Amino acid sequence: MQEIGKKPADGVRLALLNNRLQGVARKMANTLLRTGRSGVLNIARDFSCAIVTANCELAATAESLPIHVLSGPDLMARAMKTFHPDLKRGDAFLHNSPYHGCSHPADHTLLVPVIDGQGVHRFTVVAKAHQADCGNSQPTTYMGAARDVYEEGALIFPAVRVQSNYRDNDDIIRMCRMRIRVPDQWWGDYLAMSGAARIGERELLALGEEIGWDSLEAHTREFFDYSEQRMISAIRKMPAGRTSHSSRHDPFPGTPPDGIEVTARVHVDPEAAVIEVDLRDNPDCLPCGLNLSEACARTSAMIGVFNSLDPTVPKNAGAFRRLRIHLREGCIVGIPRHPTSCSVATTNLADRVANSVQAAMADLGDGLGLAECGAVIPPAVGVISGKLPGSGAPFVNQVFLGCTGGAGAPAADAWQTICHVGNAGLCFQDSVELDELRQPIMVYERRFVPDTEGAGRSRGAHSIFVEFGPVGCDVEIGYGSDGAINAAKGVRGGLSGAAGRQSKVSRNGQVEALPGCALVAVLDGERIRSHSCGGGGYGSPLERDPNAVLRDVAEGWISPARAEDVYKVCIDESGAFDTERTAARRKGM
Amino acid sequence: MRFGVDTGGTFTDLIVEDDGGELHMFKAATTPADPIRGVLDALKVAADGFGVTVKDLLGRSESFIYGTTHAINAIITGNVAKTAFVTTVGHPDVLTLREGGRTDPFDFTVPYPEPYVPRSLTFEAPGRIRADGSVQTPFDDAAMVAAIEAMKHKKVEAVAVCLLWSIVNPEHELRVGELLDRRLPNVPYTLSHRLNPTLREYRRASSSCIDASLKPMMAAYMERLTRDLRDNGLTGRALVVTSQGGVMDAAEVALKPIHLLNSGPSMAPISGRYFAEIDEGSDTAIIADTGGTTYDISLVSRGRIPWTRETWIGQPFRGHMTGFASVDVKSVGAGGGSIAWVDDGGMLHVGPKSAGAVPGPVCYGKGGTLPTVTDAAVVLGYIDPAFFLGGAITLDTDKARAAIEAHVAEPLGRSVEEAALAIIEVVTENMVQAIVDITVNQGIDPSRAVLVGGGGAAGINSVLIARRLDSPRLLIPEVGAALSAAGALMSDLTQSFHATRFCETRNFDFAAANDLLDKLKAQCRVFIAEQAASVVSSAIQISIEARYPEQVWEINVPLSLDHFAGPEDVAALERAFHQAHEEIFAISDAASSVEIVGWSAAAICRLHDQTTGTLAATAVDGPHERERQAYFPGYGHLVTQVRRFEAMKPGETVEGPAIIESAVTSVVLHPGSSAVRRPSGSLSISPGA
Repeated sequence: MQEIGKKPADGVRLALLNNRLQGVARKMANTLLRTGRSGVLNIARDFSCAIVTANCELAATAESLPIHVLSGPDLMARAMKTFHPDLKRGDAFLHNSPYHGCSHPADHTLLVPVIDGQGVHRFTVVAKAHQADCGNSQPTTYMGAARDVYEEGALIFPAVRVQSNYRDNDDIIRMCRMRIRVPDQWWGDYLAMSGAARIGERELLALGEEIGWDSLEAHTREFFDYSEQRMISAIRKMPAGRTSHSSRHDPFPGTPPDGIEVTARVHVDPEAAVIEVDLRDNPDCLPCGLNLSEACARTSAMIGVFNSLDPTVPKNAGAFRRLRIHLREGCIVGIPRHPTSCSVATTNLADRVANSVQAAMADLGDGLGLAECGAVIPPAVGVISGKLPGSGAPFVNQVFLGCTGGAGAPAADAWQTICHVGNAGLCFQDSVELDELRQPIMVYERRFVPDTEGAGRSRGAHSIFVEFGPVGCDVEIGYGSDGAINAAKGVRGGLSGAAGRQSKVSRNGQVEALPGCALVAVLDGERIRSHSCGGGGYGSPLERDPNAVLRDVAEGWISPARAEDVYKVCIDESGAFDTERTAARRKGM
Repeated sequence: MRFGVDTGGTFTDLIVEDDGGELHMFKAATTPADPIRGVLDALKVAADGFGVTVKDLLGRSESFIYGTTHAINAIITGNVAKTAFVTTVGHPDVLTLREGGRTDPFDFTVPYPEPYVPRSLTFEAPGRIRADGSVQTPFDDAAMVAAIEAMKHKKVEAVAVCLLWSIVNPEHELRVGELLDRRLPNVPYTLSHRLNPTLREYRRASSSCIDASLKPMMAAYMERLTRDLRDNGLTGRALVVTSQGGVMDAAEVALKPIHLLNSGPSMAPISGRYFAEIDEGSDTAIIADTGGTTYDISLVSRGRIPWTRETWIGQPFRGHMTGFASVDVKSVGAGGGSIAWVDDGGMLHVGPKSAGAVPGPVCYGKGGTLPTVTDAAVVLGYIDPAFFLGGAITLDTDKARAAIEAHVAEPLGRSVEEAALAIIEVVTENMVQAIVDITVNQGIDPSRAVLVGGGGAAGINSVLIARRLDSPRLLIPEVGAALSAAGALMSDLTQSFHATRFCETRNFDFAAANDLLDKLKAQCRVFIAEQAASVVSSAIQISIEARYPEQVWEINVPLSLDHFAGPEDVAALERAFHQAHEEIFAISDAASSVEIVGWSAAAICRLHDQTTGTLAATAVDGPHERERQAYFPGYGHLVTQVRRFEAMKPGETVEGPAIIESAVTSVVLHPGSSAVRRPSGSLSISPGA
């Protein structure tokens, strides 16, 4: 272990190396974002690019979805090395096995070992992208009800050599094309991943040649030490304590009737400069698609921690030395055994874990942690499939018409469009025009809903309402909206955000409530109504600055009645702040 | 005689092109409260220089070309009109949602950003047009009139209208315009389909709101500028630089002020293109302008200056995307004033915090205490403390040393000189990464591009940047310190016309495409005819915004044809797209068809015969230092020859280590590099290794 308080060798080389490696990862990510074909990749930014060392330690990531990247690249690189001791330049490996380090089967990943001129494996570059379809038994990549991986149906690739000598193994490409519903889209995304990974390889080869491989490795080790030092400083600023927090997932097909409760125990030890998260005391895996992969279990715990720390601490193997994540084999939020299904591992229970960890951190003291973020996936962010009017060609695509759910933070109101805690708001929100052009749908309405925020000193996100439906054809819409019963909780006196809900409007205007998780047939002219979850508030609403409440009323975020009932801020008839009555109401509590 | 003026943050630069085609450079302090004052001051400096009155000088002008940051400053400081936003009923949160996205995923200290127009000034217009242009719900005059009355009640000063699918069927937007004409006759408004006919409602709405919010004040500003210039004797044409790197008449731009957002920085690549071509015969260049606080990078790719609609005011995802075509300029927080600091893990950072103009670097002696890049350059001997801005300010080397010692050298355990080098090295890397980012996005290989350094501080580390990028050549034009003002003189009068129509090459609709191109070309020809008197030559450039099926981000591809006669022309379009995609992203999908979303035609009118770009010779005044000690990485202190920029003869070569300085710049030649003076006056530097 690194001696605490020791200065790293060279603060200048550190800055330069950090910049270079980040630059390579960013270059990979820019390429992937702009060349990907499926909406889930290029709109939701549901992809990641990372560099891991030859020892399978995470060295650098581009700005990527947190749930993709903190742990996973390390585990996948290790699987690649174990299965293929004979790595050669020009190799690339296709990996989506949740039993070998991938997040879930829809996240196709390309791993390229970076081999120097002497044939030595120096780094591995990782490009991962969520696919529009991965060959599941139903046209969705989120098979929440699948009993096991067989019912789920995805083709599983445990680090399979898909390129040798820079050439595709066409057998594997053909297998994918025979099994994936939108083969051209998949092929486009595969090309994009391949382009990104090869750019990363090329850049790292140039970097190694330029500064020498041994000194590059030495710099990387120094950077890990530096990152660990930053982590130590950050943890030293926190109070010591043990807390735990539980978060309950709604009942879904395949879960017990009261859903699944997840508990995270958190121990912050500033003296040892270590944070421990224990997820072992949780239920066993269930015969459904909600089980977490090891990568997602580990990462979701880490997200909760890093959401509560100085954001400038680098996220790499050096900083991770100060984390202890305890997982149990066979646990629903632990290490799953084949053939347990992990189809929905990146969102639902993973979010419950991350939310539990950050809420537990908030219990340690004011100024720490975060409230809970809202759950997903509402129908407005569902997968739409059907046949195009006219050509009759099949289409499958995930739309991103509206999800919010941001959590109130110690010193700032929520980022509205956080989407879910594992996404961190990186997801784009679709343009109505673009969606109406890309598929035969019409978006009738999209607006934030007043009074749905988790009230607090810092308020959580509002729900967003979206009404949409097919035009000129029938479609199916698949979604899995957790949070209809268990809304995002506030912390430190903050209130819960609004629950999510959804319904269908028939052609004659009849409204029918829809379940939380379903594949719904929607006929031409029918409409889906989708309400995303709000986010939890941080701190008591009575501590909210009355001027901020006034602004929220003026801008239509909350009603005057809610200002008075919940925030105890009174507004007179002219819209001005009534100081006396407010003081009385707030004192009266 | 022609005048190019660029109002920057600190200086107002004026370049005068005399009738022989030689350039003369003048500077005056920018006067932020009244920038036109600074322009007139610069003209006075020039008039004094020529020994004439301002009236005589302006009386000889063919044209006066003005670049200004006034519009963007008005937005940043919130000095724009109270603007109402009219949107389609059911979709009030277009501006609040933007297009989603966020940076810094673990940073929860930043709240969700405010919309450009508040929700309380957002009004929902009745009616709905479908994607195919048909009417789903008809417009309703009475409901709209009620909304306009509410605007009147709220005393709005400008109105922006952006309705869904107005780019396909503008009927409802036009009706809103008619009602506004009648009910709010003195309030200017912007209709999105006229201003910026592009797909994606947020981009159109954002550009319309920005445009409308600038109208009252920019109309007044342009009117005053023109009047003041006329009163001072201007007889030629008053033109303004646009975000797209062209120029427009001042009166015209007042009607579409969004064109002014990037006025100024958009000119740097015009200059850069010119010098890369005449000095190095290269059509590909990276233009980097080093200021006090920011480092602005733009590109020239095979003679073209790439543009983008994704320009942000403020930080990406936290500010407002303009959605309006602009020269692609990337700006990062790195410059002469960037502050160096060491964090609690012992890592050195430089920027993005800047000492700004006040208090400025420590060596200015105006109260700055935190060491900056400029302080490092002084400590290293790169800048002559007695000759900064030609001696206007004497720099305090001791103070700079002390600050670097305390804040960098001590925490890093290095000597002051090595600490100063480290500051230069880190800021260099920050600049390099910014260049890498924009070149990746535009598909340019820096090792095949000429690096053009502009801005007074460019010379400090440009050799190091060129080495890191493997650039074969670094060019420091003699007018480099006023690159934008010089660019203004080289720019063409341009007007772009856009249309949105979805078209796939697999099922190509020849009649529709040709009809659309004919209309765009006709618009261009009308514009060109209107300019007839002052135009030397003209051209029409067709380009498309296109993508592979299922992609969502279009790329801009210029076409060499303007009519589709048969399948071979469509195949040519596909080839051009594949090639552009391959260049930008290193991959292409030759078997795939191509989707075209947007069509553009630009009318380009050349206003002048090519300028020389050469500064008129000036006498070197007074005695000059011939050598001094300067500190170089890997060498330590070296006796370094010092040359005056303007005294070097064309074709003359100087080998590093050397410093070539003038009143406005200081160019450091590291050991191993060498510079040759080009006939244009530029320093052409071989960076060495």
